Amino acid sequence: MSRVIHPNPSSPRADWREACAYSHGRTSFAFLDEGAKREIRRRMLKAVAIPGYQVPFGSREMPIARGWGTGGLQLTLSLIGPEDVLKVIDQGADDSVNAVSIRRFVTRVTGVRTTTDTPAATLIQTRHRIPEEPLRPHQILVFQVPIPEPLRLVEPSEVETRRMHSEADYSRMWLYLYEDIVTYGEITIGARYPVLVNRRHLMDPSPIPRWDVARLNGNPALMLFCAGREKRIYALPPHTRVEPLEFEDFRFQVESFDDRRCLHCGSTQSFLDEIIEEETGRRLYACSDSAFCEKVRKAGDGSTPPSRKEERLP
Amino acid sequence: MNTGLQPMVQVRGLTRFFGRGCADCFGLTGPTHETNQCPRCRTVIACREVSFDLHADEVLGIVGESGSGKSTVVRLLHFDIEPTSGEFRLHLNGTAGDSVPGLDPQQNLFDLGPHQKRQVRNSLMGIVYQNALLGLRLKVTAGGNIAERLLMAGWRRVGLMRARAVDLLGRTEVPVGRMDELPRNFSGGMQQRVQIAKALSTYPALLLLDEVTTGLDVSVQARVLDLIRSLQRELHVATIVVSHDLGVIRLLTTRTLVMRHGGIVEQGLSDQILEDPQHPYTQLLVSSTL
Repeated sequence: MSRVIHPNPSSPRADWREACAYSHGRTSFAFLDEGAKREIRRRMLKAVAIPGYQVPFGSREMPIARGWGTGGLQLTLSLIGPEDVLKVIDQGADDSVNAVSIRRFVTRVTGVRTTTDTPAATLIQTRHRIPEEPLRPHQILVFQVPIPEPLRLVEPSEVETRRMHSEADYSRMWLYLYEDIVTYGEITIGARYPVLVNRRHLMDPSPIPRWDVARLNGNPALMLFCAGREKRIYALPPHTRVEPLEFEDFRFQVESFDDRRCLHCGSTQSFLDEIIEEETGRRLYACSDSAFCEKVRKAGDGSTPPSRKEERLP
Repeated sequence: MNTGLQPMVQVRGLTRFFGRGCADCFGLTGPTHETNQCPRCRTVIACREVSFDLHADEVLGIVGESGSGKSTVVRLLHFDIEPTSGEFRLHLNGTAGDSVPGLDPQQNLFDLGPHQKRQVRNSLMGIVYQNALLGLRLKVTAGGNIAERLLMAGWRRVGLMRARAVDLLGRTEVPVGRMDELPRNFSGGMQQRVQIAKALSTYPALLLLDEVTTGLDVSVQARVLDLIRSLQRELHVATIVVSHDLGVIRLLTTRTLVMRHGGIVEQGLSDQILEDPQHPYTQLLVSSTL
């Protein structure tokens, strides 16, 4: 590691280009060294073998800060091949800063093609959303996860949460939901709604809205989750049973938009973001999935958005 | 109910060391040596070869000075701590055995895995600790505390759980209007009654009471004892009462074990032990309190 890769300290930008060019010829495809990729792939295989179980792994130092998608990035870099087509979204948008920087970084170290079109992508890295358009078999969705432990809400000790997972003792989480109902009359968890995977492991679906939680069940795509800071990988193989925790008399409910439409495409079939107009204080609603919104607009008047029908388990 | 003379609970050779233990531990401790700490390896024998039976619908008292191992016995039976050795069997004869599928009466419960132990504990046992902090979650409402045990037993209807909590809190004389308050706002006596309601929520076959009235003032003590006695008569639950207070033992129990230095020094009918103690230590205990 004693090689000098910053020959000109006066211009950091030129340095960075030079360092990349330098490393590009000499280090592995996709930034990570082969040993790291092999370890991460093995951990992913284990995660797929035990759906919902959090597999520890040696999270590497990445050129972005921990907490900004290092987990998802490491999975993407370990999975990606030259023929892959990559899509990166941040809260549904292809053009937000986090998505753009990650996409640019991956392209720079691999040279793969990128897209914003969900069906055209083979590999999708996402922060806190699932694309509105139905996923296909053989697509891989990589989630960036801030807190992988669903029980952290009720139990601070890692030793104790591991025991709870090993014995499938999730009564504390149920109790949390009960208390929520007693105090507020409903379950108030918005994002990070705990789900039971394969009737065994309680899993944090990352902070996706409940709208997307309902779409995890039986999804034909492979879903991989990784928390870089917390050093955990977990997975939902295609067609896995994923059930949100719910009481018989207090069912799980997805967000309701009460017939509100996207102000751009007019869709009523998608998850909407609330935008407050500064001058007037008006509340406006727009699709959170920007690529989907674009597509609907191009397709016409918005009355026939692409089907949201997905394969579900009976 | 059980048939014949088959005891419901069978405990044999229950032993717990705190420390490494050595070959001479048993020889150098116990009532004859007036200590429960091995002078050679400094191991504390908190509980030595304790054996007893408990029949359905019976109330057994365990009495002794502090440090005699009585609370250790209860905690071992509740799987709070692991025994060094010993056997623990439950014969339910269909009374509540259905709730733990595949539980063999000949099975030593200490050999079960942690998951099964938790199942047995949740569905067949209830415990009330001296300190409500141990038995209750103070950041969870009184109703939630009762619901926790029901949730562990697989209940998934909020309405039913609340109905059961209202019923139990009513029986234990906790104002039902306060069931959605945190127990930390309750008085000591009320916390204790919430604990009792929680322990009884799944109608357990075995109830363990560990110094329930210690630390409560006399009038509250009397009401808690009254409550336990009436609930015991109503629900016919086999109960083990641990206390250093002979008054509690006299009021609640039919049979009593006297423990000292981790071992049982005398056992028999409660009246007999209190009126005609045989062992010098029991004589001292009875004469000093009465």
